[in-house]
Amino acid sequence: MARTLAMFTDTSLCIGCRACQVACKQWNELPMEQPEWTGTYQNHAHFTDKTYRLVRFIEKSEQKGDLAWLLMSDVCKHCGEAGCLEACPTGAIYRTDYGTVNINQDVCNGCRYCVSSCPFGVVAFNHDTGTASKCTFCNDRIHNGLGPACAKACPTDSIQFGFRDELVAKAKNRVEKLKGMGLKNARLYGADPGDFLGGLNAFFLLLDKPGTYNLPDKPKLPQRNVFVDSVLSIGSALAVGFGAMVAFRERGQRKGGDTDA
Amino acid sequence: MLKTPDWEMMIVFYFFLGGVAGGAYFTAAIADNFGGPRDRQVVRVGYLLSLPLILLCGLLLIADLGVPARFLNMLWVFKFWDPMSIGAWGLGVFGAFSFVSSVLAFSDSAQMASLRRKLSLVGTIFGFFLASYTGVLVSNTALPFWGDARLMGALFLASAASTGMAAISLLLFLMGEPAGEGWGKVKRADRYSMIIELVILAVFLGLLGSAAAPIVAGSFAPLFWGGLVAAGLLVPLAMEFLGPRAKAASVVSAVLVLAGGFVLRYVILMSIQT
Repeated sequence: MARTLAMFTDTSLCIGCRACQVACKQWNELPMEQPEWTGTYQNHAHFTDKTYRLVRFIEKSEQKGDLAWLLMSDVCKHCGEAGCLEACPTGAIYRTDYGTVNINQDVCNGCRYCVSSCPFGVVAFNHDTGTASKCTFCNDRIHNGLGPACAKACPTDSIQFGFRDELVAKAKNRVEKLKGMGLKNARLYGADPGDFLGGLNAFFLLLDKPGTYNLPDKPKLPQRNVFVDSVLSIGSALAVGFGAMVAFRERGQRKGGDTDA
Repeated sequence: MLKTPDWEMMIVFYFFLGGVAGGAYFTAAIADNFGGPRDRQVVRVGYLLSLPLILLCGLLLIADLGVPARFLNMLWVFKFWDPMSIGAWGLGVFGAFSFVSSVLAFSDSAQMASLRRKLSLVGTIFGFFLASYTGVLVSNTALPFWGDARLMGALFLASAASTGMAAISLLLFLMGEPAGEGWGKVKRADRYSMIIELVILAVFLGLLGSAAAPIVAGSFAPLFWGGLVAAGLLVPLAMEFLGPRAKAASVVSAVLVLAGGFVLRYVILMSIQT
């Protein structure tokens, strides 16, 4: 396996220009969608099968009646332990040599289990192709020595592309620097593999709690309960099966002691 | 914002019919192995009912895919920890057992009957599997309520038993052979299953607490409480224990149980997807 690649999105540098969103659309040949009124500058409201990069415009009320404007360019997290990949029954969703998670459009049969298995609501169903789609980490570009289109287009280096270990070290320094500047709530999201989901290969520097950005605090792998749920189902099968056995049992044929009441 | 998978009516029907098929098969297999000669109609009806339902289930699953022509892609991969993957395999294997059992159910030879009984014990495992895996499938998603429901598979299985038995009981009546002892036994087994289902449902709701809001409160609540809990479980049980011994009462109760089983899948699938 090649050295793991990552994208580091430093939200403290984002100016909300949406160059990433546009570059993503252009490179991946994603068609336009009808704009929506979301109540903020944000458009669109959510990831779709045609929107893989999405700048979130979050308006947070402060105590003094001020409004904090938090900007975040959001994307598929390319989880170290990916719910979509575990859910995929066809093997269409796979991990690349670089550690990113991709959907093979020629294999996906559109069962949509991955859509319900993404803890971030990223994977979307494309009704035109009948397959699931999401950010490819510009798979074609990274295999040709180029960074993802969004990172390339970002004018402020809010989106950085590189080797994961180097980017994590850089991100940690950046958090310390921001804290020194008085941004006490600055933190990394998904940088440490021990935090959740084996670490995100697209990780973030946030200026507030994950909840403020509508991100889950500690997302969990959806498949973690398969064993427990199966054992409970077996328990139910034993109860139901025993009931049916009692109901169908032929009393006359029972050996010894069984009297017909 | 999490995304729902748009599994709508075809999947509701699949979950329901898969449950009836699994329930009918394992009921027949248990009657075959533990019952007597008077249960022969139960055995036949159970096996023969499961077969067309499984075929229908397969068609529904394939038709619901985004690219139906690629359904075989599921059978090139086997992930034992993934309900969607083993579900496709399990349905296929169960179909094979159902087919063989159905064919052998026509034979009068003792040898064939002995073979059928042995095979059906293995087939029963797949029947139980088809009856419950759909619940485990939805309970292992990232979505609230579905992902929180630890007893979803157990509940689906008990419901599959009660609906499978109700379907056999209804068919026996329609075939004009309700008077046999087998019919009485199916109805007794169905009562046990309904009681188990009620108990599991109560624990299911207790464990979920406020996470069950999509079905116990809001626009799906009347259907859940009225269609499943009252009309699908409490009324049929009350009719069985307290009601008239008339055959018509048993028919009404079987129809109500089947409708309740459908409502269960409908409210669980649709409540968070609309």
